Amino acid sequence: MFDISFGDSGHVMCKGRLDAAQCEKAQDFMDAVAEAKTLDFAELEYISSAGLGVLLKTQKRLAADGPGLKIINVNNHIKDVFRYSGFNAIFDIEA
Amino acid sequence: MELEIVRRIDSLKDIYDFIESFFESNGTEEPVRYPVHFVVEELFTNMVKYNPGNMNTILLDIDLEGDGVKVMITDYDVDDFDVSKKRDVDVSAPLQERKVGGLGLHLIRHMVDKLDYHYEDRQSRITFTKGPG
Repeated sequence: MFDISFGDSGHVMCKGRLDAAQCEKAQDFMDAVAEAKTLDFAELEYISSAGLGVLLKTQKRLAADGPGLKIINVNNHIKDVFRYSGFNAIFDIEA
Repeated sequence: MELEIVRRIDSLKDIYDFIESFFESNGTEEPVRYPVHFVVEELFTNMVKYNPGNMNTILLDIDLEGDGVKVMITDYDVDDFDVSKKRDVDVSAPLQERKVGGLGLHLIRHMVDKLDYHYEDRQSRITFTKGPG
């Protein structure tokens, strides 16, 4: 199960498992985001490389003329995936 | 424990349930779980993506090995593609030069203890092990 929505804070709340079967849903949501946003991963358990592709595509678009995405509350496994992917250098990531 | 998987992305739910069932039955440690899910998804989605016309099911086999697990994925009537070869992915490239896609096979090398590829008679078998350390 994967869910993505705007929270009361205005942050993008991601929940569940972002795998290859769910990345179209995530991409459709992120394509409608027109400005820099914070993604809250507190309830995101899992992300695969397909999910990383959604983040990267969105970041390339938003960061071309602005601050881009900030990602907060990342679990340790996803932190490892970000580190192996070099995402620490291209996203603003806060534990 | 074996699972025959229908070759479509929607099968990821069946794969997840199967692996979780194995983990629950065997009390598999938490540090093993994420990498196994991740690596199986990457390998399976590659098989689906690069052989879309192939109607054969894919066989997933998971067993205990020491404190961790050994996973085998077998695909039938496919071309030779060695997933264990090192892939050149520049993870230090600036954002606008980064490519969307291509990270999966790079990442799995970080997540397993051992990764083997065997190809014979148009059958590919990928074996990996992952322990809690």
